[in-house]
Amino acid sequence: MSPSTGRDGPGGATTVSGGVVVVAMGNEYRRDDGAGAAALDGVRAGLGALGPIGARVVVTGPFTDPLDLLGEWDHADLAVVVDAVRTGTPPGTVTVLELGDDIGPEHVELVDGRPVSTHVMGVTAALRLARAVGRAPRRVVVVGIEGEDFGEGIGLAPAVEAGVAEAAARVLDIVGSSSRCA
Amino acid sequence: MTHGRHDTERTVFVPGLARVEGEGGLRVRVQDGAVSEVTLNIFEPPRFFEALLEGRRLDEAPDITARICGICPVAYQMSACRAMEDACGVTVGEPVAALRRLLYCGEWIQSHALHVYLLHAPDFLGCEDAVQLAAIDRAAVERGLDLKRTGNMVMKTVGGRAVHPVNVRVGGFYRAPDTDAVRALAEPLRRARQAALDTVVWVAGFEFPDVVGDYRFVALTHPDHYPIEDGAVALWSGEEMSPAAFADVAVEEHVARSTALHARLHGRDPYLTGPLARYALNATRLPEIARQAATAAGLGPTCDNPFRSIVVRAVELVFACDEALRLVLGYERFDPAAEVVTPRAGVGTGATEAPRGLLVHRYRVDADGTIASARIMPPTSQNQLTIEEDLRRVVEGGLTLTDEDLTWRCEQAVRNHDPCISCAAHFLHVTVDRS
Repeated sequence: MSPSTGRDGPGGATTVSGGVVVVAMGNEYRRDDGAGAAALDGVRAGLGALGPIGARVVVTGPFTDPLDLLGEWDHADLAVVVDAVRTGTPPGTVTVLELGDDIGPEHVELVDGRPVSTHVMGVTAALRLARAVGRAPRRVVVVGIEGEDFGEGIGLAPAVEAGVAEAAARVLDIVGSSSRCA
Repeated sequence: MTHGRHDTERTVFVPGLARVEGEGGLRVRVQDGAVSEVTLNIFEPPRFFEALLEGRRLDEAPDITARICGICPVAYQMSACRAMEDACGVTVGEPVAALRRLLYCGEWIQSHALHVYLLHAPDFLGCEDAVQLAAIDRAAVERGLDLKRTGNMVMKTVGGRAVHPVNVRVGGFYRAPDTDAVRALAEPLRRARQAALDTVVWVAGFEFPDVVGDYRFVALTHPDHYPIEDGAVALWSGEEMSPAAFADVAVEEHVARSTALHARLHGRDPYLTGPLARYALNATRLPEIARQAATAAGLGPTCDNPFRSIVVRAVELVFACDEALRLVLGYERFDPAAEVVTPRAGVGTGATEAPRGLLVHRYRVDADGTIASARIMPPTSQNQLTIEEDLRRVVEGGLTLTDEDLTWRCEQAVRNHDPCISCAAHFLHVTVDRS
């Protein structure tokens, strides 16, 4: 595989044709909803260890609207979405879920939990829309960090903060594994 | 969704209202065949941000308030900047004003495209959502996504990034973009303008319920152009006033059932801001291409049918693309990119037209530039009482509908106004009690 990074024109969205994109979702002013953004620093720091593969990964976000994923992940081989989630597990727990071809409306709550920011639609709905218009990545993996407090404010709950590093490590593992499987 | 029916009562519950920005709650009560209560509960975040701003520096206001809304951050940045410049006695020059208008056009394009295609159009085509719409008309959805992308492109070129632009500051910008980078937007904007014209034709062909609202329109107005980032505040009565005077007469009251503040003019009159208001008060200032599109779509000098707001929004899409193109073709990089702003003690008010309507910021600033108090009036909270009036009309006219159809009509009535209930904590729950 020879990933390439494309741009959609001057200042346009990043269209990663055949490559890997890591994108964070969430609102940093809604406490644990900022967990995805917090994980990006660890991801960026660890990409160097992946060598040339890491250098070609596009890291972007955070976005509060999953619709913004369209244009960021178009036609990528792999899109890794890092987001706060509510799955009922203890705060800080990291969940990894690959969104398969059978994703439907009923899957929204499983992956997205309760909407906590300006989500017109959830990540799964954005993926379904992207597939409907032929712009979806080949693979989409969600790395979720279980949130506890989604109220107004800045800063993560301690347990959630503790899960950020693991989430970043899981992202790097997924990215590294994808290149070895190519 | 649950339904209940008694001899003199009808009860319809909808657990969540889809396709609005953020979340909220709606309750309609019908008793003995008459509408007795309509309440729209909006949970909004500006109260938190008003408190957060106290004690911050005035130059932090644009970046902090941009976080209030992920869909219209530029609107918050622009209103914040104008309010701070008003407090400090600064008037920006023409290059800064033009670049701000271009940035704002980008936001209008992406926001209007999103609402028309992904939130509102499904209502008129029998689709649950945009995914279903893509199944029956993929080209239309792609057109909307391409329009949104063009808007994002403009925002990224001028603002540094499409989400929460980083290039905006009190007084202007941190850096004016290179001339070539801005001029390169011309071709995408030409394509977008054509797509916007196609959008007007598309939505004009929808079937619209025959509903007429009795609206008290409020919008910015400007003698030279369709208003976005500047102007006086115009009322339906013909009166005009400064943004500061408007903030004095737009009285907000807290209602226990909602975290939102309800706005009334002179403490008495609900009013409506947004595309219908802008169009009613400024249609003659639209560029020719947009005026022609409006006429061809069957719009008159004003539009009082809230369902046809989608047509007005599409006309504004044409305007925004055309205006952005005009600004792009006339752009030359300038330096310095901002006016010098020296803090001074005072109160400043800024009003600009967010995609959803009039957005007013008012700040009291200390002599050292510290924000002493903040007041933010989002368009959706200003519109709340009028949206409730619309809902009352819809229900009164739809009492013979089935519960399911009436609930759908109520949801549409809310979506007509493109409410931005951003950063809220709960889904919109629609409850219709027929008791």
